[in-house]
Amino acid sequence: MSVAVGYLAGKGGRSPLYLAVEAATTLKTSLTVVTVVPRPWMTPSIARIDAEYAQYAEQLAADSATEAQKCLDSIGSGVKVDFHKVAHRSASGGLAEAVEELGSELLVLGSAADGRLGQMVVGSTSDRLLHSSSVPMVISPRGYRGSTAGGLSRLTCGYPGTPECVSVVERVAALAERLDVPMRVITFAVRGRTMYPSQVGLHIEDSILEATAGQAREALVELKKAGVVGDAVTLQVATGNGWDQAIDGADWQDGELLALGTKPSSGIARVFLGSRGSKILRHSPVPVLVLPG
Amino acid sequence: MTAPSPSLSTQMLRRRPVIGAPVAHGASDHLKRSIGTFQLTMFGVGATVGTGIFIVLQQAVPKAGPAVLVSFVIAGIAAGLSAICYAEMASAVPVSGSTYSYAYTTMGEVVAMGVAACLLLEYGVSMSATAIGWSGYLNKLLDNLFGVQIPHSLTAAPWGETPGIVNLPAVLLITMCALLLIRGASESATVNTVMVIIKLGVLALFVAIAFTAFTTDHFAGFWNAGFAGITAGAATIFFTFIGLDAVSTAGDEVKNPQKTMPRAIIAALLAVTTIYILVAFAGLGTQEAEAFGSEEQSEAGLSVILENVLGGSTWASTVLAAGAVISIFSVTLVVMYGQTRILFAMGRDGLLPSAFAKVNPRSMTPVNNTIIVAAVTGILAGFVPLDYLWDLVSIGTLVAFITVSVGVIILRVREPDLPRGFKVPGYPVTPILSIAACVWVLWGLPPNTWLWFGIWVAVVLAFYFLWSRRHSALNDGGDGLIPAAAAQEDEVLLPPKDPQ
Repeated sequence: MSVAVGYLAGKGGRSPLYLAVEAATTLKTSLTVVTVVPRPWMTPSIARIDAEYAQYAEQLAADSATEAQKCLDSIGSGVKVDFHKVAHRSASGGLAEAVEELGSELLVLGSAADGRLGQMVVGSTSDRLLHSSSVPMVISPRGYRGSTAGGLSRLTCGYPGTPECVSVVERVAALAERLDVPMRVITFAVRGRTMYPSQVGLHIEDSILEATAGQAREALVELKKAGVVGDAVTLQVATGNGWDQAIDGADWQDGELLALGTKPSSGIARVFLGSRGSKILRHSPVPVLVLPG
Repeated sequence: MTAPSPSLSTQMLRRRPVIGAPVAHGASDHLKRSIGTFQLTMFGVGATVGTGIFIVLQQAVPKAGPAVLVSFVIAGIAAGLSAICYAEMASAVPVSGSTYSYAYTTMGEVVAMGVAACLLLEYGVSMSATAIGWSGYLNKLLDNLFGVQIPHSLTAAPWGETPGIVNLPAVLLITMCALLLIRGASESATVNTVMVIIKLGVLALFVAIAFTAFTTDHFAGFWNAGFAGITAGAATIFFTFIGLDAVSTAGDEVKNPQKTMPRAIIAALLAVTTIYILVAFAGLGTQEAEAFGSEEQSEAGLSVILENVLGGSTWASTVLAAGAVISIFSVTLVVMYGQTRILFAMGRDGLLPSAFAKVNPRSMTPVNNTIIVAAVTGILAGFVPLDYLWDLVSIGTLVAFITVSVGVIILRVREPDLPRGFKVPGYPVTPILSIAACVWVLWGLPPNTWLWFGIWVAVVLAFYFLWSRRHSALNDGGDGLIPAAAAQEDEVLLPPKDPQ
């Protein structure tokens, strides 16, 4: 069991490496840097038509490993690091294959490069994995350079208040206990947009938000009553006019990790991030852990 | 020992406490006073010009004849006066801004229930009737574009003059709107602007083309319908002015409301009345007043007039029908939204079962409500020829507006010192005039409208006496109504403190 991190030189930055080191430290395990390179032509050929291409792929993998090594050295964590090269047609497919082969328990990926610093933009690789990965994934915000605390300081679980999501809270609670960090369960309530029908007024959505928040509060308290989470767990309802405001208002601390569950899309346990999850991911200021459903 | 239950009169007259509207975290940011007169006027025009004008001539002209132009002015004046009173109420009672909550905070529970009955009737009938109007224009559009019409049996209600089986397009429209609302979709400001432009554009097209066939002969016998006919016309027309009160509720966001508010209401009213009168004037110029009541024009009336004017060329009628299909769709969405939100408010106050106040945690919208509303109005639209019942929409609105004007007077007497962002100019004449104008318009409604209205209100009040008054949220002192945490920052339910 180790932590796998997807890394390719010149793509997406070094933030996933920082996050992966933290993850490996926290989980007390080793780290494998996985680089996916293009698969050379497999047809045997006397002319060795694909030799140069294969060489290029080889070089790419070596460069990535060197750069990752350099970066990991500068972080200097004492975590045991391996390098692993996969040749595959697609980056996402290669990563999935590597995770299976290595038996990793967690996959770390970075934000796509077109987000702003501190933002998470799901690129094509992570998007596909966020809808198919069989192991939990962590996404690092762009430019993430580790927490000053040097590790996980709090685990926050996003909970929409629906009964089928209680199992996610249970799993996050178990994880928090195992890692011995404080836990928080949070529900985001977002105000609907107003239309202007006659004789209804412009503030009715505020009342609906209030009702949403009230129901969310009850659902959270219910978690404690039912013994899903312990008494020491913080419960919070964060409201706002939009997802950005609600998430912004939730008071994040250094070294925090936001955990989201996903809905099971088939019989097999896989990650499948829904539309709300995507919105939360886009606005979260801290790394996000996505658990398979 | 349980506390003795309050007496019936106490229950009927108890009022919801006046509390500030709960504000979402950070929501106060958008309440900057930033709207000026022009914007507010445009907002009012956009909210008012809706389905009505596409449908109303066929209903009102047979009653008032060419003097329907005067009916428009009368209905407009009544709507304008009501909107001004509404504005004072909105600034004095910062609850959610519905006539229902105003009645609850000023006149007590039983009146609130009565107003709620008016609103539910108004919204329910207008949504079903709008959907039926949409069905007519959709059929016209399909006919013009592809030469295909949905069979009559699938576009007419079974109990109409020419019975069919079900009005399928109307049912589909309501289903689509319900699905959109359940998903939490809403009409954005941009979409709203586009809709307003489409509506005004097709109406301008209608006016321009209709004027080419203008004959003053058609105005002969202008006053034939007489005073009673004109009043009856005004009563039917009144519903086309619904929406003007949206201006009134925007008080918190308006710069210098004391000046801006009446100006915007009057400007919007003038603009809307002018548009309506132009459409009516142009339409009347093309044909005899009797022709409006003909069978041929009972569906997609304005389109048919354009075809008659252009002598069989259908392009203009197609454009108009397309514009109507798009804009009526958006109106239905807004009307259904309004209906669900009123039910939500009643459920929250305990006057309806709490299922109505339940928000789905996934979509964060009141899903139960939406499904109930869609089911009821869908059945109505599919099977009852409600398009002849627009008068019921007018009656509900007029009665609700009267309670607002009465509420203004009551509140001035009872709480003269209450801070008001906007005060009605010319108090007490204006509210009294407003009440008088509404009563006058009500006078023109036919007896069977009164009968249906009376039955409906009686049913709702019976529900109140049998159920609501025992379950009202005010029964436990109203604590449940005070949004304890809503005005605060995001609430954190902290873990118990460490004993050390």
